Amino acid sequence: MGNKQTIFTDEQLDAYQDCTFFTRKEILRLHGRYHELAPHLVPMDYTNDPDCKLPLALIVNMPELKENPFRNRIVESFSEDGMGNLSFNEFVDMFSVLSEMAPRELKAIYAFKIYDFNVDNYLCKEDLEKTLNKLTKEELTPEEVELVCEKTIEEADLDGDNKLSYADFENMITRAPDFLSTFHIRI
Amino acid sequence: MDRNPPRRDMRRVYDHDEGNGYTADQQSLRLRRFPSQMSNQNYPQFAWGSNPADEEPSGGLPQDLRSSPLPMALKRAVRQVQEMQLPVVSERDSWKRKRTKYLRNLKDNAREFIYIFALWNKSLQKIGGNFGGGVQSYFFFLRFLVVLNFVSFSLIAAFVFIPSIVFRSVGDSGVNITVQESFLPPSTGPQDCLQYDPNPVGLGLFYNYFLDVLSGTGFLEYSYLFYGYYSNTEMDDSFSYNIPLAYLLTVVFYFIFCFICIMARMGIAARVAVATGGSTVGNYSKIVFTSWDYGCLGDRATKLKQKNIHYRLQVDLEEENIKKRKASLTLTQKVMLYSLRVLMFLITSGLIAAAGYGIFEATNFSQGRSEQEGVLGLIFEYLPSIVITTANFLVPLLCDQIALIERYSPSLTVILALLRAVVLRLVSLSVLIFTLWGQITCDGNKNHGDCLLCGYNHDLYPCWETRVGQEMYKLTLFDLLINIAMLFLVEFPRRMVVDNWSNKLAQKVGRQEFVVSSNVLELVYSQTVVWTGALFCPLLPFINTIKFVILFYTKKLTLFQNCRPALKTFRSTASTFFFLVVLLFGGGLATAVMVYSLAVIHPSYGCGPFRFFPSMWSVVPASFSNLSKTTQEFLFFIGSQAFSIPLFVLICVVMCYFVALASVYGKSVALLKKQLKQEGRDKQFLVRQIEELSRKLQIPTHAAGVRD
Repeated sequence: MGNKQTIFTDEQLDAYQDCTFFTRKEILRLHGRYHELAPHLVPMDYTNDPDCKLPLALIVNMPELKENPFRNRIVESFSEDGMGNLSFNEFVDMFSVLSEMAPRELKAIYAFKIYDFNVDNYLCKEDLEKTLNKLTKEELTPEEVELVCEKTIEEADLDGDNKLSYADFENMITRAPDFLSTFHIRI
Repeated sequence: MDRNPPRRDMRRVYDHDEGNGYTADQQSLRLRRFPSQMSNQNYPQFAWGSNPADEEPSGGLPQDLRSSPLPMALKRAVRQVQEMQLPVVSERDSWKRKRTKYLRNLKDNAREFIYIFALWNKSLQKIGGNFGGGVQSYFFFLRFLVVLNFVSFSLIAAFVFIPSIVFRSVGDSGVNITVQESFLPPSTGPQDCLQYDPNPVGLGLFYNYFLDVLSGTGFLEYSYLFYGYYSNTEMDDSFSYNIPLAYLLTVVFYFIFCFICIMARMGIAARVAVATGGSTVGNYSKIVFTSWDYGCLGDRATKLKQKNIHYRLQVDLEEENIKKRKASLTLTQKVMLYSLRVLMFLITSGLIAAAGYGIFEATNFSQGRSEQEGVLGLIFEYLPSIVITTANFLVPLLCDQIALIERYSPSLTVILALLRAVVLRLVSLSVLIFTLWGQITCDGNKNHGDCLLCGYNHDLYPCWETRVGQEMYKLTLFDLLINIAMLFLVEFPRRMVVDNWSNKLAQKVGRQEFVVSSNVLELVYSQTVVWTGALFCPLLPFINTIKFVILFYTKKLTLFQNCRPALKTFRSTASTFFFLVVLLFGGGLATAVMVYSLAVIHPSYGCGPFRFFPSMWSVVPASFSNLSKTTQEFLFFIGSQAFSIPLFVLICVVMCYFVALASVYGKSVALLKKQLKQEGRDKQFLVRQIEELSRKLQIPTHAAGVRD
């Protein structure tokens, strides 16, 4: 096609194009962003799939994530080991899910993971309290936090077990029209 | 992971069909090792067990892979497996897959290509990141209007403006359209109706030129800007081009085109609104889970976003309190509150009516003093615009104060304020147009003194279309000037005062907020004015395009320099739909004006392409006779009852079908929701039964993690 890039083989780029919502150019650009996070760690030549992972601390310093109160949870949800170390595959995956082309169901799955702080596949009251405190930077009084958490669970919980399972969460998300536009990072 | 060992014990099926010697469960176990969270049944599973090649390998497979929640490494493994299976599947299927891939690449490239050309993308992104979705939706709306105006102007230019230029430069080789004798003005009276003498273009002071530009008179009056300059010529030598017909059909088509664009955009917004059901339940959960904008950039924006969410939660909590308090009102208190509300409603209606009356008086005064010269004359010319702008500024302020007395819930207050502002704008414009109409047609009385001769008031208005066009032109121009003036005279000084003067009053007033709703209503009002004036001032869409572009940059400047983000946000998805609905109302008003002018009022004898026609529309039947016989018969057939009534019945049937379909879907959604609730309760009931049973029989159960 004319671009003499040597970072990925054509086959790799095809694979990325099929598995994410990015085009070839965007994937190369993402590699540039990944590389500049740690230029001495990240190789420029990915043709033989090097096994290179960047730690959480480096990733959350990206300008797109720096101010996000959920940055740690986002990176942890996409990392394989759950500790926030992202390889390039997972890095691309993360921004693909957060891009504007990702469908609502996919985003809902990962949003659920992000808000599930104790990783028990339920959004219990503690998870909600943590979410709320991160949202409002702890400006609500504890009574108000309690009240809001109660009301949230009351509104969304369908099976009555006082915590939100994925089905409850997804059902509530489908009724929120702003979800697609807010759960979106442009990179 | 912990559930797999019991499974292996229960199933001892060896399946040698897998070519690599593993058993079925061992195979699935091997591949299932990666994400440990996925083994929990609560987590949505990817259907790994089903062989992808068995299902109909439609083009949906690449899409499924992108949208599947697997980690990247797994997705690439799945893709490799799919690629390896390619020789196995039939040729037709592999061709299908390749075609889908190619189409998808094409779509991606086209999307990128269009993205480069879309106007102002970077600015919109920056605005959205710093000020949120509500403000961003205003700028999206503005961009949509710019593009709409520009495209419609190119329509008008192509069919009316450029041919007119060509014909004029070519010379008088075109012939005037021959009209029937009865159309000519009555020869018994003086040829007063034909008299039209705009100020001759002579050497004037620069000062006069400037005044003329501002008021559309003088050298601008008899120019391509206004209706009066276009001639009723018709080229006949090599090809035939009928300017009056082109003018009429272009304007009609312009309206239809704008209408279609708005409907298309509304469809997108409506789909989202319908899909979410528009339920008011779920406010808190929505705020908690969907209010944080992940695209928020910058430290200041995130702090504000947090304050914003805090505020919203507080508002909701307060609304709860208000509801509780309302439920506890006694009867007398309720009666008093309701009577107070009725009184306030009457007062607001009275305010709007007073504004309308003020505009009526101003217009009459201005039209009566049209011969004044100089700056005073300019002020008289602009009097209706001034009154409209003042009314649109004062009345909402007063209504805001009244709303404090009414004590509705906060969301209802916002909606009411918006509705009142919309009604005010539309009423002010209607009153202006109505006053003009009254003067032009002597209040609809054709036999009144002034209108007896020509069917319209030829004394005051030798070319009434140009006059109406001038009014719309003045409104548009005045709007732009006021915006720029406000920017420099009010907003910048306010920011400087607030930033540098640490007085308590200054801090309380604070920096300005960018109020989305009133700005959007201004846009809708401008666009309605342009639509109303398009018939009489063909270049008005072009002027409006330039005006909106200037407005974009000035509003962006004021947003970043002078404004602080609003604490009360405007919901972007519901609001887009609302803006378009209001725009449609304005369009309806403009269409009514256009239809009335086309069909009822007699065109001026002295100017314009429709002189000597009894109404503007009659040029269509007149040129109808020039069409071929078959075309005429075809068109007659379409207009006849034999065709239109079956068509109408068919459309009704199709609509009924869609309504039925929608109601069926709604019912099935409600049913599924009930099922979901029921299943949850059944689950709990069964668990409780198991626990009770096990307690009774004292059988040691598995750990409480068993939840089947």
